[in-house]
Amino acid sequence: MTETGVKADDSRIVGTQGRPAVRALVVDDSGFFRRRVCEILNDDPDIEVVGSACNGLEAVEQTAQLHPDVITMDIEMPVLDGISAVRRIMASHPTPILMLSSLTYEGARATLDALNAGALDFLPKRLEDIARNREDANRVLRARVHALGCRRPRVHTAAPAPVRTRHAVCATRVARRPQAVVIGTSTGGPAALQRLLPALREGYPFPLLLVQHMPASFTGAFAERLDQLCTIRVKEAEDGEPVLPATAYLAPGGRQMLAERRTGGVVRLRVTDSRPEVTYRPSVDVCFASAARVWPGGVLGIVLTGMGVDGREGARLLKAGGSQVWVQDEPSCVVYGMPQAVVGAGLADWILPLDEIGLGLARQL
Amino acid sequence: MADTEDDILQDFLVEAGELLEQLGEQLVELEHRPQDKELLNAVFRGFHTVKGGAGFLNLTPLVEICHHAEDVFNLLRQGERTVDAALMDTVLRVLDTVNAMFAEVRAGRAPTPAGAELLAELAYFSTVPSGRQTPSSSATPEAVDAPAAPEAANAPNAPAAEVAVDTISDAEFESLLDDLYGTERAPGAASPPAEAPARHPVPTTEKGAGTPAAKAGGGPTTGSADTTVRVDTRRLDEIMNLVGELVLVRNRLETLKATIPDGEIAKAVANLGLVTADLQTAVMKTRMQPVRKVFGRFPRVVRDLARSLNKEVRLEMMGEETDLDKNLVEALADPLVHLVRNAVDHGIEPPDVREAAGKPRAGTVVLCAAQEGDHILLTIEDDGAGMDPGQLRKKAVEKGLMDAEAVARLSDHDTFHLIFTPGFSTKSEISDISGRGVGLDVVKTRIAQLNGSIEVDSRKGVGSTLRIKVPLTLAILPTLMVALGRQIFALPLASVSEIFDLDVRRTNVVDGQEVVLTRGCALPLFSLHRWLVRDEAQVSVESRPVVVVHVGNRRIGFVVDRLVGQEEVVIKPLGALVQGLPGLAGATITGDGKIALILDVPSLLKTYAHRR
Repeated sequence: MTETGVKADDSRIVGTQGRPAVRALVVDDSGFFRRRVCEILNDDPDIEVVGSACNGLEAVEQTAQLHPDVITMDIEMPVLDGISAVRRIMASHPTPILMLSSLTYEGARATLDALNAGALDFLPKRLEDIARNREDANRVLRARVHALGCRRPRVHTAAPAPVRTRHAVCATRVARRPQAVVIGTSTGGPAALQRLLPALREGYPFPLLLVQHMPASFTGAFAERLDQLCTIRVKEAEDGEPVLPATAYLAPGGRQMLAERRTGGVVRLRVTDSRPEVTYRPSVDVCFASAARVWPGGVLGIVLTGMGVDGREGARLLKAGGSQVWVQDEPSCVVYGMPQAVVGAGLADWILPLDEIGLGLARQL
Repeated sequence: MADTEDDILQDFLVEAGELLEQLGEQLVELEHRPQDKELLNAVFRGFHTVKGGAGFLNLTPLVEICHHAEDVFNLLRQGERTVDAALMDTVLRVLDTVNAMFAEVRAGRAPTPAGAELLAELAYFSTVPSGRQTPSSSATPEAVDAPAAPEAANAPNAPAAEVAVDTISDAEFESLLDDLYGTERAPGAASPPAEAPARHPVPTTEKGAGTPAAKAGGGPTTGSADTTVRVDTRRLDEIMNLVGELVLVRNRLETLKATIPDGEIAKAVANLGLVTADLQTAVMKTRMQPVRKVFGRFPRVVRDLARSLNKEVRLEMMGEETDLDKNLVEALADPLVHLVRNAVDHGIEPPDVREAAGKPRAGTVVLCAAQEGDHILLTIEDDGAGMDPGQLRKKAVEKGLMDAEAVARLSDHDTFHLIFTPGFSTKSEISDISGRGVGLDVVKTRIAQLNGSIEVDSRKGVGSTLRIKVPLTLAILPTLMVALGRQIFALPLASVSEIFDLDVRRTNVVDGQEVVLTRGCALPLFSLHRWLVRDEAQVSVESRPVVVVHVGNRRIGFVVDRLVGQEEVVIKPLGALVQGLPGLAGATITGDGKIALILDVPSLLKTYAHRR
């Protein structure tokens, strides 16, 4: 695994291997699935499954009893469903929760409900849908559980050397008025976007391109939900559509979204198949890179919470063209991975709490 | 703990098997309570969970059909569609298809995809009836979705005129990637996949490549649901076999004990006897399954049959929690299904006929299981038309099964048992539902093979009752040991109904058959000695023991030389040399260390009774 790998990234969040194992609670009404998830997690020496529950009510009780560091939660369960369980757990014993959901439209809606109720992240139950093979899939599950489990108690790692504080940035940079805003995010992104975008008023002067790492079947439902929450228009991007102000375009899962300037100066979106060498579909890097070409020096690139390093190379191109890059700060991130990668490469103009990013965006008016 | 793909598959088969059984019951229940939200939720979850497991194992056809069913029940549970007969028919067919796929998986084959027609029907039911709001894509199948949907989403959305003009060229994308990752592109290519769906479905071969799951010594899965251990039935059979051997040793010791007048040894042997008996019961219990396993399918059987015959039938089940040996549960399934179908098809009258006879329109079939000592009694009772002994007699003569005179001599009770005669069918036209005239005699044979018996009783216009008696277990057989000359034979105790001493002078010969009158009935007598023992002259005495056995509705007397006693024996298969000899069920070792042959009464009679 390279330095860009999930694991390498994890260890930075975690600190060292010397830490006690992450204690996980596995919740699923299917014994088959419980056993599979337990097996996969127990395979990781840094994770210990401390309990399992076969319905939401048991999950609430076990959480109170065992105080796990992280919970994997099924949605469809008898007695008490997963979403209600998340709500109760977050009310009584707030714990990082990873939803395991199905990749259906219904599954997407339920998952988004769970995220609203306080769950931090989700993965499809069919893990193969997000990986090339079983082992990779298992690795992803372990990495996510580990990452979430390490959030409590929070580890504040020493920030890499040249961290510019917000004020330092303020003093040295004069923000140029951008032509477009491009936002990239992963784990924790749905909640972050739902907090950020409703702050933007009708008649917002720029278009927004959103890249949220998400499976194909989720982005449609997510765009619908954002649209309901926001005054600006939010839609899943369609191939060939013109990029309009006061509209946010969510990159469809499983594909790549690029901005493209046509003859005559019209900027349109391209939604296209990916290439095998691009890890993420949609990829923040790809979208950032296309924006850097289309609006040289006129992009506001924002990297929000998420695992991995997607966005760093795109941010490099944005910066090279004279555009601005903001990242979400560590305390407000679910996973301070992608923002940290940008910061670590010295590409961030601003490191801001989520709410201030919202204010900053709104102020661009 | 599952270590290999095979263990994972087994784990799935166990869980999904149970879920599918439950689904069968729940769906029938749903017809009576179509609005029950909890029930709809439970059915939804049933399909959902089976789909989940199937997805884990890449059983795509199974995933697909379960997914569609899940969609239908999602609408139902949200009240956007209601249960009607057509929907139920489709859903039940879906369950059949799922069961068929499941059976294929169990047999180690890839499941056959469901027919397009059935999927289309399901798709129809998974869309909201017109006039209601449609959630945009609730019918997208998940399994196919991830790879397929992007293409679908891509094509028609852009304004048609512009699609052709300038699409982003490969070269442009490439140059973007060059910008991003340099011409080497190492980081992108080498970083592990984390978030986005894989474009290419996982090749199935990779799946089999052995995942080193749970090497870490298994997880402390503490949930209340996980207190059971899955054990291969072959292992249980092995244990049962060993216990059987132990029983033999105990029997041997008990015999030896009689020859050694030592109080201490006697005590120890008695203790051993108690412990062995307890162990035997305990091991037997591990193999026990509730009879619900078989009963569970009957609501569906009765429902389907009643629907196709336009009858109204209520099924009552009692004693479903009665336990019996797993092998018996499986062996009883087919005969019971046959008998229940028979009760609905031949027993229960059409609603109008019932009404005219002053009965409620809906007929009732009662299925009951109860333990009686070391036996299980299964009863199938209907309140239908009952059987007409006169009609049965007529039929037997018409079919040439018996002559008029013989039939007339039969008691009404015996007449009912004619239905178990090969080639006997009471319905004038053969329906495709039950009975092609081969059924009931096969049922009887099967039950006899299980050392069980079947009894029938009926009252015209009131209904019929069938009683099946089977031993709790097949592994240990209570027998009556008899001696013929110097040889010992064992008769299954289940078929023995009485023993008496025969005064040789009181026998008569009727029709060339030796008989004796007992309680006013002529009992055919056969000498086992003549059949089974060679070159040994029978000592002529005036009085001999007769063992009366019942085979179906017939009672027969076996004349033996001496009664040895009752003994529990363990059946050992016969060696290759004598394998398949008619009349012998196996062999066992007696308490005094000798070998005794176990007689198979039905086959014995079939082979010898007609030779004079």
